[in-house]
Amino acid sequence: MIISMKKYILSLSLLFATFLITYGQSADPLVSKCVMSAGQTTKYLKDFRVQLGEGGSESDFRFKANMSLWKNTIYRFTMCNSDDSKGQLILTIKDKANKTILSSFDPETGKIYSFVDLHCNKSGIYQLYYDFTNKQSGSAVGVISMIR
Amino acid sequence: MSFYSVFFIFVITNRLSLMKGRVIYFAILTVLVFSCRSATNKTNEFIFPEADSFPAGEAEKLSSEAIEDISRNITSPVEIANLLQTMEVPFSPEYLASSVDANKQGTAFDRALTLGILGADLGYLNMYEKTGSSIDILSSIKKLAEGIRVGQFFDFETIKRLSLNKSNLDSLLFLSIDSYTQIDKYLRDNNRGQLSSLIIIGVWIEGQYLATQVIKQYPDTMLRDRIGEQKIILNDLLLLASPYCNLDNEFRELCKDLQYLKERYRDVRITFTLGDPVSVPKDGGLVVTQTETSNVEMTDEQLAGITELTSSIRNKLIDDN
Repeated sequence: MIISMKKYILSLSLLFATFLITYGQSADPLVSKCVMSAGQTTKYLKDFRVQLGEGGSESDFRFKANMSLWKNTIYRFTMCNSDDSKGQLILTIKDKANKTILSSFDPETGKIYSFVDLHCNKSGIYQLYYDFTNKQSGSAVGVISMIR
Repeated sequence: MSFYSVFFIFVITNRLSLMKGRVIYFAILTVLVFSCRSATNKTNEFIFPEADSFPAGEAEKLSSEAIEDISRNITSPVEIANLLQTMEVPFSPEYLASSVDANKQGTAFDRALTLGILGADLGYLNMYEKTGSSIDILSSIKKLAEGIRVGQFFDFETIKRLSLNKSNLDSLLFLSIDSYTQIDKYLRDNNRGQLSSLIIIGVWIEGQYLATQVIKQYPDTMLRDRIGEQKIILNDLLLLASPYCNLDNEFRELCKDLQYLKERYRDVRITFTLGDPVSVPKDGGLVVTQTETSNVEMTDEQLAGITELTSSIRNKLIDDN
């Protein structure tokens, strides 16, 4: 009885471990979808999975990352929101001197662009800031690709 | 101009007016004006921090976020390969680290570094869609990843299938890069950051080797600039390696080599001109063009020195393996 119980627990543990490994390996469908939506003429470079709760100061971006961008390269920044995301993902890029290079949100018209192409002419390390509109909660992905 | 400069001028002005020494007065003012002007220029040029090396304590304090940022800043081999394709440089297997035998990598140091080197080669092969060769490299990567117990993050079968199909380059690039990102994160989360640093250094050295070898045969301004611009990254790379530089002889040697390379880059100048970005909505998206530019000043001798040392470091790493 004890031996069969042990076997049962062992089998369950193995099944659970297999599930974890398989689950861990599977790519996030939203990321895959977003990579594909970046367009036929692009080549994938990186992605950032952004999942945030509600709240935070109006002036602060809640998701920050650094990335090097190189001169004579056209980068495409694509933003994809999951279906259940309350807010829409917006991106702002600043240089080392904290100067804003681009924003996917136009405060004058209120328009949010789902992708922004940057013709980079200054090599360096830039800060990428992601957040959701009106500091709402949300789940989204930002994909960075190169345009051929 | 700072408060102290203004105060200094005020004091000097009073003294000089008493002395009626107009010549000295103008001489000092000229020196001050020119010293201020040169200070302004410095903000528009990239220079290495004054210290030649980072204190180990400082580097160890690097947050995982900072390390993640550094690893993201390394130029992707995909970007280098893309530049080569723009230049219409044909594919050449000569640039690859084909002599590496994954079975002979005795230490975790060797395996991690080689994993990085072959990762860069895989990016180059993928971009040129050379699937036949990429299968061999994939097998080596598989062995090396398993050798440092991170094989579970590499979906070899899918990558192999995509390589053979030639159907979707983006999926192939995504899976390959994503596997490396996951390995990097796993190693850092599990206190094996030294291996993660080695993989990143391996990727960078191989990308740098590829660029410097190609430029010998295909001189090109854009590629030359890209090589010079690596000065921006080299300092971060040293920061990444510095906590482990005294870990063992292999690390010590690698850190020393990177320091030598930094020396070769010391007089390469990267300057910036100012300007505001121009944004135009197009096809539902936004197109932004930077009017600011970066400019590289690198002599032929400097380039030759960097090329020679890069090749020597990379070949030593491969031969040692």
